[in-house]
Amino acid sequence: MSATNSITSTPPVPGRWPEWFQHDQQRAWDLFQSLPLPSRRDEPWRFANIKATDLSGFSAAAPVRDAADLVSRSSGLTGLSAKLVFGNDALLHSETADLPSGVLVMPLEKAAKEHGDLVRKSFMTSEVRLGSKKFAALHKARLRAGTFVHVPKGVAVHKPIEIWHWVEGESAAVFPHTLIVLEEGASATVIDRFVSAGNDASLAVAVNDLSLGAGSRLSYVGVQDWSGRTTAFHLNTTEVEKDGTSIALQMNLGGAYIRGESDSHLLGEGSRSVMLSVNPASGEREIDQRTFQDHFAPRATSDLLYHNALADSSKTIFAGLIKVEDAAHETDAYQKVRNLMLSDEAEANSMPGLEILADNVRCTHGATSGELNQDELFYMMARGISPKQAAQLIVRGFLGTVLERLENEELQSHLGAILDRKLEI
Amino acid sequence: MSASSLSICDLHASIGDKPILRGLTLDIPKGEIHAIMGKNGAGKSTLAKIIAGHPDYTVTSGDVLLDGESILGLEPDVRARLGLFLAFQYPMEIPGVTIANFIRAALQARLPQGEELEATEYYAKLYAKMDALSVPRNFTSRSVNEGFSGGEKKRCEILQMAMLEPSYAVLDETDSGLDIDALKIVSAGVNALRGPNIGMLVITHYQRLLDYIVPDKVHVMSEGRIIHSGDKDLALKLEADGYDWVEKQFGESGSKAA
Amino acid sequence: MSTETKPEIDIDRSVGDFRYEMDYAYDAGVGLTEATIDYISDVKGDPDWVRTFRKEGYRKFLEKPMPTNWATKDLENIVFENIRYYLAQGQQPKRSWDEVPDDIKKTFERLGIPEQERKFLAGVEAQFDSEAAYSNIKAAVGEQGVIFVGSTEGLKEYPEIFKKWFGKVIPSGDNKFSALNSAVFSGGSFIYVPPGVKVKHPLQAYFRINAQNFGQFERTLIIADEGAEVMYMEGCTAPKFETSTLHSAVVELVAMKGAKIQYITVQNWSSNVFNLVTKRGLAHEDAEIKWIDCNIGSRLTMKYPGVVMKGKGARGEVVSIALAGDGQHQDTGAKMIHAADNTTSNIVSKSISLGSGRATYRGMVHVPKHLKGCKNNTECDALLINTHSRTDTYPAISVRGQGNAVQHEASVSQISAEQIFYMQQRGLSEGAAMSLAVNGFVNDLVQQFPMEYSVELKRLIDLEMEGSVG
Repeated sequence: MSATNSITSTPPVPGRWPEWFQHDQQRAWDLFQSLPLPSRRDEPWRFANIKATDLSGFSAAAPVRDAADLVSRSSGLTGLSAKLVFGNDALLHSETADLPSGVLVMPLEKAAKEHGDLVRKSFMTSEVRLGSKKFAALHKARLRAGTFVHVPKGVAVHKPIEIWHWVEGESAAVFPHTLIVLEEGASATVIDRFVSAGNDASLAVAVNDLSLGAGSRLSYVGVQDWSGRTTAFHLNTTEVEKDGTSIALQMNLGGAYIRGESDSHLLGEGSRSVMLSVNPASGEREIDQRTFQDHFAPRATSDLLYHNALADSSKTIFAGLIKVEDAAHETDAYQKVRNLMLSDEAEANSMPGLEILADNVRCTHGATSGELNQDELFYMMARGISPKQAAQLIVRGFLGTVLERLENEELQSHLGAILDRKLEI
Repeated sequence: MSASSLSICDLHASIGDKPILRGLTLDIPKGEIHAIMGKNGAGKSTLAKIIAGHPDYTVTSGDVLLDGESILGLEPDVRARLGLFLAFQYPMEIPGVTIANFIRAALQARLPQGEELEATEYYAKLYAKMDALSVPRNFTSRSVNEGFSGGEKKRCEILQMAMLEPSYAVLDETDSGLDIDALKIVSAGVNALRGPNIGMLVITHYQRLLDYIVPDKVHVMSEGRIIHSGDKDLALKLEADGYDWVEKQFGESGSKAA
Repeated sequence: MSTETKPEIDIDRSVGDFRYEMDYAYDAGVGLTEATIDYISDVKGDPDWVRTFRKEGYRKFLEKPMPTNWATKDLENIVFENIRYYLAQGQQPKRSWDEVPDDIKKTFERLGIPEQERKFLAGVEAQFDSEAAYSNIKAAVGEQGVIFVGSTEGLKEYPEIFKKWFGKVIPSGDNKFSALNSAVFSGGSFIYVPPGVKVKHPLQAYFRINAQNFGQFERTLIIADEGAEVMYMEGCTAPKFETSTLHSAVVELVAMKGAKIQYITVQNWSSNVFNLVTKRGLAHEDAEIKWIDCNIGSRLTMKYPGVVMKGKGARGEVVSIALAGDGQHQDTGAKMIHAADNTTSNIVSKSISLGSGRATYRGMVHVPKHLKGCKNNTECDALLINTHSRTDTYPAISVRGQGNAVQHEASVSQISAEQIFYMQQRGLSEGAAMSLAVNGFVNDLVQQFPMEYSVELKRLIDLEMEGSVG
């Protein structure tokens, strides 16, 4: 059932973007219209709930009712170098504290005007390969606001940058965008927070693109806590040049239907991409994650660790491909997915894949699905802990091991606290 | 040069376009142990690999003779069966192939067609050599070098040498990564093999190894050639005074063969 | 996720320069129409229910598309119109021994294949006279009440048992190629083992070559009644000369309560063959079905032996070795469907990619809701030998509910030039070094084959390694 002003049929209202950008948006709209919806026979949508990809019931989000309220609720890390708050695709608040000179942390619209060349170079330049090409086109066409982070050569941004994205309104759709470009030798930490203001059924089609120059270092975290009635797409492409390191974590705490796509391109020799995800799934949530560790250059490393704790009648899908191209000798690639099944109705689907065309590679992948360890439970109960609490502790520990891979203690404890609150520990 | 020696004659060799050996001459008769020392980058490991026939390197001129016959152009395994052994600086891991089977296959390869290695004799000898090198007997079922510490890998190299009984052995930085105890065991293993029927070339960066494996001659290598030779005292002098004085005195301007 | 089209292989006609015997009295011709089906049923004297079954299969074959949405696009090179779907015994193409290529003759020698078998395998003789050895086995097992006949005889002489299970484990419509097989099947075995009977000798052990089992569209049905045990072997390590380009077999196994069936295959078809096989077993309570599969030949093999664990405590196992040499694609794997509590499945797959070969593993493990105590373990290891070879792994694991444990591990390793140099320095030739490494890699799986096969397999691997060097 289509909404009036459905985002899938009503053409987007052009924003205040520069002409080249508007031109791109028009082309994207045409592409969105021409591409078919996914079908059950498409490999990238195997096991998925195809019905959830019918987005005709959503319309563009109206301005939020109480901007100040949302801004005051946007309280995360302390000691930031910059913070932006968006509500329904409008910038509600921005501040910078300790940002080294030359670093750009600004709304995408402003960056497109003032630093058009820089933006053009990296804005959605990669092919969307993991199945959501149609939805990435929709995102591009309907994009109204986003963030551009650009760190020049050799500059280290020590304090984290935090960006909040709020959605409010029944059937409202938002299109968050975070573009991060680190030049040679630069470093930064960025955290994206996605939240529903209330309990509405909304839609988010979010894109984050990470571009790492030679020797640069990025820690990126995306925490999603959408309402239990929200549909969200989180699409990522990460490109890493020679000796660059990207550590990215996606934490999925909410949503009814979540489709995540993470595509890492190991382009330069010695580059490294660590891909992490923490997913406590409950209710009837479906978390569908597709990943790609694509090794183009020799001696690069990729390491994926995804942990899913499935309660109630939740469902997860993981499809991850490690591809080692012809020239990518001496690749080190790892992939591990673990599913902890907490109820009789939970369902976990894992499709870890490998395509190896090069020589001298070290590649392992593994997927396990199991239940709570009875011995561990018994041990805790023997110490007087209730079974429910014991289970909670085990689940928290299970998810926590992924956080430990972040190499940043402050982030680890911050995310740990968010997780604790969610799990009510 | 003699009929019972490993002779390297004015050897020039490169890797790709890059020349590494620039006219190296050396003669190692059976019954003697020669040591080569030199700074990193002098080309010592390259020399070892070239003698063994590593495919990455090209000999542009000169020759390598084993008992008077040229071995250049021969496949690495043919050279090995002629009696050459290389103890690798970084021994390879071979998953799935046990030490017992590996050494057995190597010994079997040296027997004439149709002749089978006798199992009980083989194992008796293998265990005796393992005991002498303090390699635990259960290592026979472990895959070659897989998960081995540096010291274990080096001992495994010497074990192979003891079992294969070569005529000429090149030991490429056999002491690297070893603590003093491991060094003693490995050296004792090498010394146990010394004799009139084997010539050895010990390549090392540090003099310390040569306290245990005492050489008959010491050569200094620099920029792809031997620039100076002496006896074991030369090693002590290098340890005390470094390489600079040798370079100044003998380097570049020509080489003095032993 | 990624497939590529390979140009149609230019079949080396010098290899297949044979002459047809000029007797066309019974010739279904090329191409497949309903008339072809009628012809086959006529020649074989099929009962009506079989003719109907064939036609049903033919309809389904026409309906189903090629599975190129997930499988290799090379399938598009199969030209159905050019294939002969039925060839009577006397019409098999023959060639003279002189025309057999030297390297094939050498392989026979190295593998120690007996003289008479060589002629059959090389396409010099259309039939292998195995009556003597065959009748000994038939007599021996006949005493125990075991039925061991060809599929044609089976459906005619034992319709009640046959019909009960035929087409039930693998329905015609399962996939395009099982449908094709249902339409034109000929040859294959029908085996029934009565309750409690444990067949001592592996069936086929005394004559590894059975002309019927080298048919294009063989159909095998093995039923082990309660508590029975049987081991069946098909195939042979020696290369089999084949002019037809499409082989599409169907094998159905049924293990009743407490029964055990082991099915061992060694496939070494010539390099022009598309080998597309559907194999599945149905294991009832406490029964065990084990597939041991070795794929060495063919241009393209697609085979995913499966077990449906229908009864409590049932067990399914697949042990698979695949060797993909130059220009070959081994696309193999396993399917484990858990349909009862406390069922266990185990998959071990080892593949070797040589030269420009490509080895693909596809697995499916399915544990539905409300089952408890199910376990699966999958280990999938790939070995790459040269820079241009390729390996892919595409498992799909679906687990519902708690109380089950599923584990999948895969790894890729290679034999590097450095490792070969190391082994050569110890005196092993390049070929011997590769054999040692490859045999080490597959050793524990090869041990699971019956003795004669494991010895031959080792020799065959040695040969393949030597052949890939230089």
